Amino acid sequence: MECGFVEERLSEYVERSLPHETMVGMAEHLQECPLCSRLMEEMRFIFVTCKAFPTMELDTALLDRILLRTSGRPRTRSLRERLRSYFLRPVLTPRFATGVGLTLLFAALVVNLLAPRASVLATALSPRELLGRMDRGVQQIYSEGLRLYTSKNELQEQFTLYKNNLLGKLGIMIEQLDVPMEGKKKATEPKQPEKSPKQKSSVLLLRA
Amino acid sequence: MLLGDEKAVERCLQGDDAAWEAVVNSYGKRIYNLSYRYTCRRDEAEDLTQEIFIRVYQNLKSFRAESGSFQSWIMKVGRNLIIDHFRRTRRYQQAAGTEEMENMNLKDDKVPSPQRIAEQAEASKFLMAGLQALPPELKEAVILRDLEGMSYMEIAELIGIPEGTVKSRINRARLELAKLLSKRRTQAGMQV
Repeated sequence: MECGFVEERLSEYVERSLPHETMVGMAEHLQECPLCSRLMEEMRFIFVTCKAFPTMELDTALLDRILLRTSGRPRTRSLRERLRSYFLRPVLTPRFATGVGLTLLFAALVVNLLAPRASVLATALSPRELLGRMDRGVQQIYSEGLRLYTSKNELQEQFTLYKNNLLGKLGIMIEQLDVPMEGKKKATEPKQPEKSPKQKSSVLLLRA
Repeated sequence: MLLGDEKAVERCLQGDDAAWEAVVNSYGKRIYNLSYRYTCRRDEAEDLTQEIFIRVYQNLKSFRAESGSFQSWIMKVGRNLIIDHFRRTRRYQQAAGTEEMENMNLKDDKVPSPQRIAEQAEASKFLMAGLQALPPELKEAVILRDLEGMSYMEIAELIGIPEGTVKSRINRARLELAKLLSKRRTQAGMQV
């Protein structure tokens, strides 16, 4: 069997679509001829690679474009796709992921900062502590009110005392001033008609 | 979908958008993968897929169930547009989509190990690089037969050539590819 004959039928030999006798004859030749054997190995490689050749998945965006440019009707979406487009797609974005990451980082920093004071803060904000503080505040305000009331009473008493003293002293002084003046007039001058109340001396007015 | 293709087309022609959506869902992946295997570029494959479906939508009336299955028809429309695209751009890329190849979604029921994924990606990259170096008609033969898994008859129907020609074209394509890969492997110092 010649190499040319084998080459012409090599493809069918690999596909095993030749008659039995030809297959046997070619197998013998391939065992003897390194060039044809090499070619057959390459052809087998082509078969195997073609069988395992990756299939490209069609992008849904391309499907959308095709439908919009032909029927003009958007593609029917499955429930999963709809859920994904409405809820997950806005969430699963780099921007959102960055935002979540930064928020978590900030929260971690805040917790780290406040953790030592957390117990103190918790105690300070407990209902018992809050009520106690309110109670103490009210008591303080009440005692302050009492103190002011007492001070006011004391001041009022002092004022009354001073006022009475002053009035008493003034009364005495007026009495001392008015008595000799009346006595002199009675002795020297004729009796004058009685003055109107407006013409009375200031001292009298004071006495009244 | 295959059994209901004709009904779906009828409903599409009556203005049933849901039926059209079912058609797009059903053939979208296949058309996209076909486009990708020809172009080796994700963006170009997406544009081509879109163009193919627009063309299919506009020409749904011309589909005749007596002339063949809807699958064959849609593949023919797709293939014609891809060939047009090639002629328009006059570009038969030498470089395969190397970076994209590594980012591809591997469809495998058994979850492969990372090492296996890396090996597969490397082998696919190697194969795609070899494919890009083939003449267009040979490249097409390998894509349709080995990557799309179409039968000789389907390919013959799609391209519009006799089945015997398809067989010989596929054999030539594989041989060319095997020789190319052997050469590249020797240069790269890799083992089969």
